[in-house]
Amino acid sequence: MATNTIVLQEEQYVAAPEPSRLRGLIKIARENPIGALGFLLVVVFIVMGALGPYLTPYSPTGVDASAQLDGPTLAHPFGTNGLGQDVLSRVLAGARLSLVIGAAAVGIGVIGGALIGVISGYFGGVIDSFIQRTGEAGAAFPGLILYLTLIAAIGRGVDTIIIGIAISAIIGGSRVLRSMTLVVKASPFVEAARAAGASELRILVTHIIPNVMPIIIVIASSAWGAAVLAEAALSFLGIGVEPGTPSWGADLQGRNVDDAKVGHWYLVAFPGMALSIVVLGFNLMGDTLRDVLDPRLRGSIR
Amino acid sequence: MWRYALRRLAFIPLIALAIGALTFFLLRILPGDPATVLCGQQCTAERREEIRQALDLDRPVHEQYFEWMKDVATGNLGTSIYGGQDVLDEVARRLPVSFEIMIMTLLFSGTLGITFGILSAVMRNSPLDYGVRFFAVFGQSIPDFFLLTLLIVIPSMLWRYAPPAGGYVAFFDDPWTNLRMFVPPTLVLSIGGAMVLMRLVRSTMLEVLRSDYVRTAQAKGLHPRAVILRHAFRNTLPPILTVLTFTVATAFSGSIILERVMGIQGLGNFFFQAVFIRDLPVVQFTVLYTAMIVVLLNLLQDLSYAFIDPRVRYR
Repeated sequence: MATNTIVLQEEQYVAAPEPSRLRGLIKIARENPIGALGFLLVVVFIVMGALGPYLTPYSPTGVDASAQLDGPTLAHPFGTNGLGQDVLSRVLAGARLSLVIGAAAVGIGVIGGALIGVISGYFGGVIDSFIQRTGEAGAAFPGLILYLTLIAAIGRGVDTIIIGIAISAIIGGSRVLRSMTLVVKASPFVEAARAAGASELRILVTHIIPNVMPIIIVIASSAWGAAVLAEAALSFLGIGVEPGTPSWGADLQGRNVDDAKVGHWYLVAFPGMALSIVVLGFNLMGDTLRDVLDPRLRGSIR
Repeated sequence: MWRYALRRLAFIPLIALAIGALTFFLLRILPGDPATVLCGQQCTAERREEIRQALDLDRPVHEQYFEWMKDVATGNLGTSIYGGQDVLDEVARRLPVSFEIMIMTLLFSGTLGITFGILSAVMRNSPLDYGVRFFAVFGQSIPDFFLLTLLIVIPSMLWRYAPPAGGYVAFFDDPWTNLRMFVPPTLVLSIGGAMVLMRLVRSTMLEVLRSDYVRTAQAKGLHPRAVILRHAFRNTLPPILTVLTFTVATAFSGSIILERVMGIQGLGNFFFQAVFIRDLPVVQFTVLYTAMIVVLLNLLQDLSYAFIDPRVRYR
């Protein structure tokens, strides 16, 4: 009887490691329909950003004098703006810009922030104090001011936006990861590894990093949403992308607003809705990821 | 407690010094000098040099820094490079605008967030709770600048309504015009903060309402209102304070956006324009001023924990 059970378990294990993982994901999605919706919105955003420019017959910057301020029609589902540019094409091009800037800024910011936070929390001492004080000084500076200084230094453009957002992500991310590292570092299994003679590097790679990984995923998800929002806000203020570049934030200001005031609502409604829906997707996904992945919360819920 | 407060206070001049020095050197080391902007398109090298000399920009940076420090110590914050007006006067003239925006945003997000947070927790899983939570998720996701844009566009499109234009009207001069100018945009601006606060109050309240001492208070027959307000709500104060401090700290960024969208001439707009024309004295002062507010608020926040929660002790 006992042997039978063991054989059965082995069969299950050998036969279905992948489907069970997939089934696990489906189960999580079923239990968190709202999070699944968020994930779906994010996937749609990524697909739109990646393929969007190939799906539309118009150029987002192409001017058509014969079709200025046309309302939504079959030819132009989202209408055209005062220059005769197709709003749908601009919204899709804006998705690509958001996607590129968000992914790059979060990539740099979260990996950098995680590295700094883990090192700061794990080694402590002078390194920790130095990193912490620098972070606090950075946090006391209003983000917008930091960014304006950056523009003065290296000029406007996509690179500047990415660096600016990445700096905020590094500061924010390193703090959270530092405190998580402190928690993991104090746990018995790290002590056991050290007693067994494991090197610092080995402890860091095999024990600390895997245990803070869920937090990194949670941070990356919410940071990505914040980065999309930050790009739009900067372009909205006229300090983001170069004038004329299709960006959701940039299309919510200037001439479009004046035209919208006299009845051309679609000029601001569609870019604004696209932005809101994407941010909503990241928020919903981030909340659910936090519930599912954050070990501290997991303990308190069950 | 008092020793802790004094020690923290002693650090403030040091922090101010560090922030002041950092801004000063950053602004001067970076390319793009105000003389070039001031000189305009058809600028000769000699003319630019003249302007640089007049503004003391030709001197070594450290000399400029000590000169500036001397001025600040004697209460002279410099004059705007462009208008030649005293920076302090200019800031003082525009400060009430940004201050009113900040106070109103704080007031609205505080009242809305706390009220709906408590109601939502007490009436858990009621239609009101679901409604508030649904609204919270959406309210947090719609960017404030998009809402502000809609606030301008929709009334103008439907009813040809425009908010009172022109300069700032003080509340005590003309309350009605002042409120029409500020209430709608600050209400919109406060939604984000109110939603964060609401979710926080709700979750803290739910946690506290399950605790033993709340059950004890209910068991001994206290009025439900007393249990909720005196026993449960009090525990949500520290996190509320944290969020409200954060709201004030970020209010200046919000004020910049609001002033730009609504075309109101406050400190936010003044600062934004000063950055572009590289009006160094204005930028320096504003950065120092806003950074110091954040530093002081953080101190106040840490200290007030001890007043709210008797268990907190500082050494």
